[in-house]
Formats: sequence, structure tokens, C-alpha cells
Amino acid sequence: MTITDSMLSKANAKEIKSVVVMTERLKKLKREWEDADPVVYVDDTLLFTKSWKETDGLPVDLRWAKAFAKRLEECPILLRDDELIVGSLTKFTRGNNVLVAMKPREVLEMAKTGRFDRKLSDISATYIDPEDLKLLIEDAEYWVQHMPTVNYVNEALKEELGEGHFDLMFDRGMVFEGRAVRVDPDRGLFQGWGAFGGGIAQPTMPVIHNGLNHVINLAKAEIDKMVDQGACLPGASAAALRKYYLLKATIVSCEAIIAYAHRYADLARDLALKERNPVRKQELEKIAEVCDWVPGNRPRNYWEAVQSLRFLHLACWKESSERPEVGIGRIDQILYPFYEEDLAQGRLTRQEAGELLGAFWLKIRETENLVTIKREHRAAPGTLLPDVTLCGIDENGRDLTNELSWLVLEVMRQIKLSEPAVYIRWHEGMDEDFMLHALECNRDFGGGNPAFLNDKLGTDRYLARGVKPEDATNWLASGCLGYHLECGEHMAGMFSINQAKIFELTLYNGFDPRTKKQLGLQTGDVTQFTSLEQFYEAFFQQEDYFAEILRKHYFIWWSSENMNSPMSGLRAAMLYEDCIPAGLTSREGGARYPVCRASWIGDRGITDVADDLAAIEHLVFRSNKFTMAELLDAMAANWEGHDDIRQMCLNAPKYGNDDDFVDEIFNRVSLTTQMILTGRPDPFTGEKPMLFKGAAAGHVTQGASVGALPNGRKAGTPLNDAGTSAMPGMDVEGPTALINSATKAPHAWETVGITHNMKFPKAMLTSTAKLENLAALVKIFFARGGWHIQFNIHDSDELLKAKENPEQYKNVLVRVGGYSAYFVDLPPELQDEIIARTLHEVY
Amino acid sequence: MVGPVGLLQVVRGHGVPRVDCKGSSMGEIMGTVFNIQRYSIDDGPGIRSTVFLKGCPLNCKWCSNPESQNRNPEISHRDSLCSKCGICVQVCEAAAITVDEAGVHIDRDRCNVCGKCIDACDREVLELMGRSMTVEEVFSQLQRDTDYYESSGGGVTICGGEALYQPEFTFALLKRCREVGIHTCLDTAGYGTSSALQRILQYTSLVFYDIKHLDARIHRELTGKQNGLIMRNLELIIRSGVPVVIRVPYIPGHNDSKENIEALAKTVSGMSKEAKVNLLPYHRFGMGKYAMLDRRYELAKLLPPSKEDLSKAKEIIESFGLACEVAV
Ligand code: SF4
Ligand code: SF4
Repeated sequence: MTITDSMLSKANAKEIKSVVVMTERLKKLKREWEDADPVVYVDDTLLFTKSWKETDGLPVDLRWAKAFAKRLEECPILLRDDELIVGSLTKFTRGNNVLVAMKPREVLEMAKTGRFDRKLSDISATYIDPEDLKLLIEDAEYWVQHMPTVNYVNEALKEELGEGHFDLMFDRGMVFEGRAVRVDPDRGLFQGWGAFGGGIAQPTMPVIHNGLNHVINLAKAEIDKMVDQGACLPGASAAALRKYYLLKATIVSCEAIIAYAHRYADLARDLALKERNPVRKQELEKIAEVCDWVPGNRPRNYWEAVQSLRFLHLACWKESSERPEVGIGRIDQILYPFYEEDLAQGRLTRQEAGELLGAFWLKIRETENLVTIKREHRAAPGTLLPDVTLCGIDENGRDLTNELSWLVLEVMRQIKLSEPAVYIRWHEGMDEDFMLHALECNRDFGGGNPAFLNDKLGTDRYLARGVKPEDATNWLASGCLGYHLECGEHMAGMFSINQAKIFELTLYNGFDPRTKKQLGLQTGDVTQFTSLEQFYEAFFQQEDYFAEILRKHYFIWWSSENMNSPMSGLRAAMLYEDCIPAGLTSREGGARYPVCRASWIGDRGITDVADDLAAIEHLVFRSNKFTMAELLDAMAANWEGHDDIRQMCLNAPKYGNDDDFVDEIFNRVSLTTQMILTGRPDPFTGEKPMLFKGAAAGHVTQGASVGALPNGRKAGTPLNDAGTSAMPGMDVEGPTALINSATKAPHAWETVGITHNMKFPKAMLTSTAKLENLAALVKIFFARGGWHIQFNIHDSDELLKAKENPEQYKNVLVRVGGYSAYFVDLPPELQDEIIARTLHEVY
Repeated sequence: MVGPVGLLQVVRGHGVPRVDCKGSSMGEIMGTVFNIQRYSIDDGPGIRSTVFLKGCPLNCKWCSNPESQNRNPEISHRDSLCSKCGICVQVCEAAAITVDEAGVHIDRDRCNVCGKCIDACDREVLELMGRSMTVEEVFSQLQRDTDYYESSGGGVTICGGEALYQPEFTFALLKRCREVGIHTCLDTAGYGTSSALQRILQYTSLVFYDIKHLDARIHRELTGKQNGLIMRNLELIIRSGVPVVIRVPYIPGHNDSKENIEALAKTVSGMSKEAKVNLLPYHRFGMGKYAMLDRRYELAKLLPPSKEDLSKAKEIIESFGLACEVAV
């Protein structure tokens, strides 16, 4: 890893800030992408199906690899006018890829009901060519007939845990949002997550730096070694054969990616021959030269390194097919040696480097999969999760922030695309100028980008699990607000446990008012309870009960999944060298630290539960405003006709205001839950599972199954949106109070993801002094043990909403020197004036 | 910005005896507070908490914090949240409150601030402005953010209303803060006794000082009081050596004449060339709060000043050798 001086000279910083990322070329390419309608792309799935039919009878790893190869070798390729970085997932400007074999029933349903033309999110397809539609239906019908009729995971679970068990997951995962096992959605060919099983894999630094030929050579040598040394010892033949085919599959896959790059080289050469414009001709010749060389070999310059990253990201994406969580990784570290060398040799200017990076950004954004209805309901629509990680401290305590960290932020700021998300590994000694640059980019970008992660906490958690310092320091953000080791950690299974639902069940003595079934334990009639202590006890008992079910559930699911779809995570084998001698994918424990593949338990709704308990204590036990029975009646009616009770509940003390009364309840609930959930070892590693209190959209899907709650929330509405978020609009004491509430106890230690979302009006960030204050706030957040913080900057839209719905925006402040007032208290014409000022960023 | 270390030096530089008032009766001194604003970043350097005291001897027509003027607690109503259910009317024994299409109205002569309506309203429309709090109570709120002050070079700001209108409280609170190394700003219009000011200055790191008009007679027309005391107090502050920022509310048609700006700059520069001047352009955002207190806002038709006028005023002030900024 390159070690650099983190302090960027003022001159270089200035030059980077003056880089024009949006050159005429990129503006045009971006416009074309924005103007294009999404179109369903079918060639990929047809090639997959064709290959699958051809390889009947071969081991599944090899079949998967061969199908992957066919998709790369025979798909139409295209190189757009003016492109510098190449590699398109589809032949359309904005094509939506789909692999029908993975979800044939869903695709068939969409195709037959004409649902393709709906537009729920910007990645939903809107158009399909009639000819393609026919082919797609044929393909889907084939797979509906040929996919396994039983869901082996479901069968295993039914056998073990009984029918009623499904109620806990059914319909958006009432208690468990199971990642894998769902009764209705369609998992196609493998009837589980199959190839994507809880997998997060992405191009890694060693693979980019060494080239795929290096991986091929390693795999070939390993095969030779196996055969020479007689690896098929008694009792080991199945494992040896598995290893053999996994290595073959790795070779086939790597060769296919190289061949795909060569097709681009040939295409560029052809186009160069015909090109009249001498400048473009030269560019095309350069593209040919680049694609001839990478990703097979070690890049010789910055351009090749960027292109290699593009090809590998695209390949991972294609291989993962259905799960889009393919990250980009530590891009400032991956590209830096080439950037530095080129700059030193005078072969590259910062301007050129910025444009190439911008071109890469656009290619990432154009990579889209078709989102089917069911997936959209449970995942975050529109989220592609190609996370970028910047900065970080290495094992020698050196700061790895470099010029590219600056440049990446500049690209993000100027190109203004919702993705990739950028994460900065923050540490105490972070260069102040860099921090201000990051916050400025955040302000100009708007929505939560870049986010900041606690470098020390991330590394310490790995060290505590026995990871060597050089690896423990080499981690990156991944997926939906988690993080992992670059050397190939594999989150095993992931389940979410819905605390708000468990609390609701507790209120009804284990009975679920929605399904009318006794889903939980009988922990007592709460109308007879006389103290909060009894509520705690009942709730923790329920939690403990569900935690045990969750663990069994996970064990059975995970085992069945591994037995039945062994090719899963093939890409992980080609990306992580340790998998090659191990003969296992990283998911199966082939990567360097098998111990680091413990399960993640998504733990949602803790702040909701804290507010519920606070409301009960405050209103029922302390001020005797009403009885528990009256409260339950009001909740059962979803507050209808009980407006008064609901308002009292809403006005009860809420988490997020530095109010020790609620915060102590929150701490007790959160820490006890932490103990209950991590108290049972993971069945595969014997390690503690990790908790995951992410954000994304789980709070919406999980909220859907939860009835009205004592905090005043209505049935079916979203839960609080992240691990330490307050109920919307209820944190009225400002950002320091919210942070204090969130950090009074070590909520982040046992977690891989706990997000702290904060909203700021742009006006609070308009000067350097104000940005310095925000930097100070970040510092204290981390000093107090926080893990992940991100800022959403509100603009005039937010204020327009506040004007319409004052009750939900009671806490939006307007500040002018020496004066402050709540926005909703202003007369309409002054509200308009503020909105107008906001547009000019000065209120 | 003054960091925590710099701060201690300031304290020692002034040779102030470090007396501990904890546990003494000073912590029990009561003040009327109407708001404690955290993460306040417009009231001095860094991240601050601003304590707003209630009550002001002046009565400026353009005041944007009318809830700060009256020394006594008052009920305010946030009409945008009101459902017009009328429950508050039923519980009011003084028959002070009425509700109609336009919103809530409270007859201030009748209202005895019993607070019954506040408890009855479940939509948080009604709010008690002004609470009696001890120095220790306020301080315990302020010290929750000590680490933010330290990391940002911030601290505590006390303003009003008029901080000098409750001199014992202000003194005790600022002393309490400075004893634990918290940077303190005093935001004042200067209408208080010089002896009180002098005591308070011992525990003040930075002063924001309002000047409205240089002409004593016009000053009285605009604010109800003459400005002699205010100008004398300014001199006292400047002599004390505590850094000061002069704040001039720039109110079109009231104090924006060339003569006044010149007189102001001349007077200030005669006292000190170090003093900074901030121009605060008039804005009408306080208007909503007048309605919340059933008061009439006299300047409803007055529009904010133009950028050109402000920069002209800034030039005049700078021509006297003073640093000047226009606040946004
Ligand atoms: S009780 Fe509250 S909501 Fe009802 S009329 Fe009075 S102020 Fe309005
Ligand atoms: S505070 Fe008391 S007297 Fe005043 S309006 Fe409310 S209920 Fe009536």
C-alpha cells in the first residue's frame, strides 16, 4: 500500500479544486444518460439460458462459470462517441439487465401484466421492445418449468420449526426480515440466494495491481499441485473435486473477462480506422491499447488502472446478477501509485485525471439491473450500493489520505449523481483542510455524501477478533452501510430482527393483532402491570425467545444454502487469493479470516421501543393521564377517535433530545438487546454475531407490519430511519443534543453498521467558520464513540414540505444573526421569502 | 478563535481572582430565561449555547424577538399547529382566551399565566415564554456541550432581552462558566448600570454591543430611552480591554442616514480602532412572533435594505479605519 503525506500542498489543493470534471465530453455523456428512458435488455439472460442448456450434467460451479463466459463473449458490445472509459452492461444508453433464471415467476408476472412500464424508482424499466418481450416471456416460461419446484430452505425450516414459523417472516418479514427464506418471492434456479448468497465482493487492490493473469496462474499452479501431491486422500475426495472445479471455474471466468476486454480493444481499433477526426482517432487507438493490456496485466499507467477497475466492477456486477451490492472499494489507494507515477513523469495532468475519474463515475451509474416488483418492495429501490471508501490509517499509524482522496470528492461534487456513495474513514489527525473540503462537497452535493466512518473503531473491532494489524486496518465500506476487510471477509447470513414488532407482541401478551395468531410467548397481561420494570422483563423475555428461533433459523438456512448452491460467490474466489489454496469461496470460509464471516443481525426499531417505554412510564405510571387499557384501545383503533391520547403520546419525552429520562431507557433497551442478540455464538464460527443497525429502506418495510405504538406512531408507517435516529421531527434540541443521546452508551461496539443521520439547513454551512463548526461536531461524535455519521442538507424542498405540513416540521429553525424562530411560525409570505433565500443559499 | 488554552490565559491576564461560587448561594440566583439554544453558530465564535434572558428596558420598534421584551412570563400561541378545537377556551377560568378562524387570541390583561390552557392543548400550540431558573439549572444545561465548545473554540453566549437587566444572574452565570474554562460572550444593548457591567466584564471573553443611534433624541424616539448611558458603558468596555464587536441594526428610514452612520463610526473610532463593527440588515422575520403574542407589529410594511445601501454604509465605516462586516 502506498504511504503518502496526507498534507496536500495548498497549490495542489487549489489545482484539484479547479479541475473541471464536467468537460463538454462528460456533460454530453451525462445528458445522454439522463435523457434516455430505461429499456429492458434481454440478450444477457438469453445467453445465460443458452449456455445452461449446453452444459447440462457438468458440475454446477463450472456451469455457472461457462454461462458467465458466454455472456461476456457473445453479448453485443458498444463504445459510445466520445467515451474514454469503456465497458457497457447493455447495448442501450440506459439498459436494465435481467437474469430471468433467478426470478422467472416474477419476470413472467411483470411481462404478462405489462408492469414494465410502471415507474416506481429511477431504476425501474419503462420500456421493452415487443420482440424482446416475446423472447423474455419464452425465457421466463422455460425457467418456470425448469426451476426446482420446492424451496429446499423453506422445506428444511418447516421440518425443523413448524409451519407457524413462517408467520414471523411472512409479508415483509414481521419479526425477521429474512434475507433468504421467504415464502412467496421467487428465487428461481437455486431457490435461495444462490449465486449471490449474502455476498459482498468487489474488485480488490491485489487483483487490479497484479492482473487477472496472475490469478489464472495461481489457480493453474494449484491444480497442478493438487494432482501432483495426491490431494484426494481418503475421505477428502469430495472436497478435492469441489476444489478442482472451483479452480477451473475461476480460470474460465478470469479468461472470459480478459477476452471481453479484448473485444473492446478490437472494436476501438475498428472505429479508429474509420474515424476522421484526428483527436478522436488517437483516443480510440489509446482505448485499444488500454483494453489489450488490462485487466489481464498490471496497469502501466493511471488510465489503465481506471479502466481495469471498470472492467472488474462490471464483471462482478454481471456475475452477481441479482444482488447489486458490488462496491468499488478504496479507490484512492488502488489508483494512487499509477496517478503519482504519471504525474511525476509528466504523462498526466490533474485535469485529465479528473475527467477520467468522472468518466468512470458515469459508467458506474449506468450499470443497472431490472428491479422486479418483489425486490423493490423489500429492498431500497434505486439503490445500487457501489460504495467508495477514502482515506484511513494504516498499520503504522500513517494517514493514507492523498491527492486522489481530494479529487474523488471533487468529482462527486461536480458530477452530482446519486451514486456511488462515498465514505471517508475519519480519524483524529485528519487534515483540517481536507475535512473542510469534504464538508463543502457534502453541502454542495446535498444528500448524505460523503459519509464519515470512525477509522479507529473499525480497526479496533477487527483487532479484537484477532485480525493482523496490516489486514485489520485495510477495511472498506460495503453494501447497505456495513463494512468489511479487503482481504475477503464474507458476511454470512443476514437477518433483521424487528424490535418494534417484538414490543408490539409484548403489549398483546405474545399475540399478534395483525395475523390473529399467538406468535410470541405469553409474558403477561400488560394492563395488569404496575411498573415499567415489568415491561422491560416481558420485552426482554420475548426478545430472548425470538433470538433463539432466529439462530436456529439461520443455521438451517445457511447450511441448506451451502449444500444446494455451492457455486455461490465464485467471484469471491477470483478476487481473494486465499480462496485458491483453500479451495473454498470466501462465503464458505476460504478467505484469510474465516472467523470474520459471522452472521449479521439487523437490529431495527430500538429507538422506537425506547420512546414507547418512555411514553408508558410518563403518561400511565407517572402522571396517570390514562390507563394501559385505554392506551391499548386507542392503539387498536389506530388512534381514530382518540386524538387526545395520541397527542399526549406524541408529546411525551422523546429520544434524541439529550433528556436523561428517555436516554436511560434507550441505553437499557439497546445494551440489553445487544447482549441478548450477541449472547448466542454464531453456529458456524463460534464467534459472536455482529449487529447491524443500518438505514436504507428496512425501516419502511419493517414498519409496514407493525401496528400503532405508544410513541404515537400510526400503524403501518415507517419506523425511525436508522440505528440512532430520533422519531421524525421530534429532536428539537439541535444536533449536539441528538449526538449526546446517541452516544451516552457504547451502542456502536458490537455493530458493523449503526448510522446516525442528521439534517442541516444549507444556511448552517455557508461559511468556512460554519463548516469548521460542523467538523468540530463530527470530531465530538467520534470522540464519544460514534461509528457512522452523515449529513443531509435541506434545501427549499424541505421548507416547502414544512409549509404544507407544519406538525411534522415543528423543529425546523430559521436563523438570522441574533434571531431565531421556528419556520412554521412565520406568516406564509415570510415563509416564501425564506424559501426564496434558501434557493440562493443565504438564509 | 479562542481555544480552551487561550481562554485560561485571558482569565489570568486580567488578574481575576478565581473564586468558586459552586455550593455558594450564587448558584441559587434566579433569572427569567425564555430559551436556551444549543448548537448556536451565529452568536459568536464556534459552537455555542445561547441563553436568552427575558426582559428589556428598551422598546425598539424593529425588535425581532418580541417575546424577550416583557420581563414576565407570557403565553405564546403557534397558530399553524392549532386544530381550533376550543378546549383551551373551556379551561380558561379568566376567560382570557378565544379561538376563531384566524387562530388563537389571548387577552393579555385578563390572562394570569396560570398555564391551564397549555396543559389542556394536546397539540403543543400554547407555550409558556419565560421560566424562572437558577444559575445552576441553566449551567447544568450548558455544560452538556462542553466538549463541543472546546473542539470548536466556542462557548456560551448570554443575550436577551437585555442581559444587564438581570445583572446578578448574568454575573453569576458567566462567572460559573468561566471558572470551568468556558468562553463567554455577552450580547448587550448596554442599558444597565456601569457598576454591574464592570463586574460582569471580569467574566466576559467577548462583548457584542448594540448601538442604534448616535443622536440622543432620536434614540429615545426609536427605543424609548436616551443613549447617554449606553455610550458611557461602551467606553467602559473598551477601557476594560475585553474585545468588543459593535452591532448596528440597519433599519431603513430609522437609523440609516449618512449623518448617523458617520457619527457612529467617528465616535467608535475615537474610542478604539480595534473595535469591529457589524451591520445587521433589518429583516421582518420577527413578525410572526408578534402575532403569537397578540401584539401589533408596527413596521409590517418596512422592507429590508438594499445591498447597495449596506455596502455604502460599510464603506463609510471603513473610511474611519474600522473593520466592518455586513451580517447575512
Ligand atoms: S386547545 Fe390547542 S388546538 Fe385546541 S383550539 Fe386551543 S390552542 Fe388550538
Ligand atoms: S394561561 Fe391561564 S389565564 Fe392565561 S389564557 Fe391560559 S388558561 Fe387562561
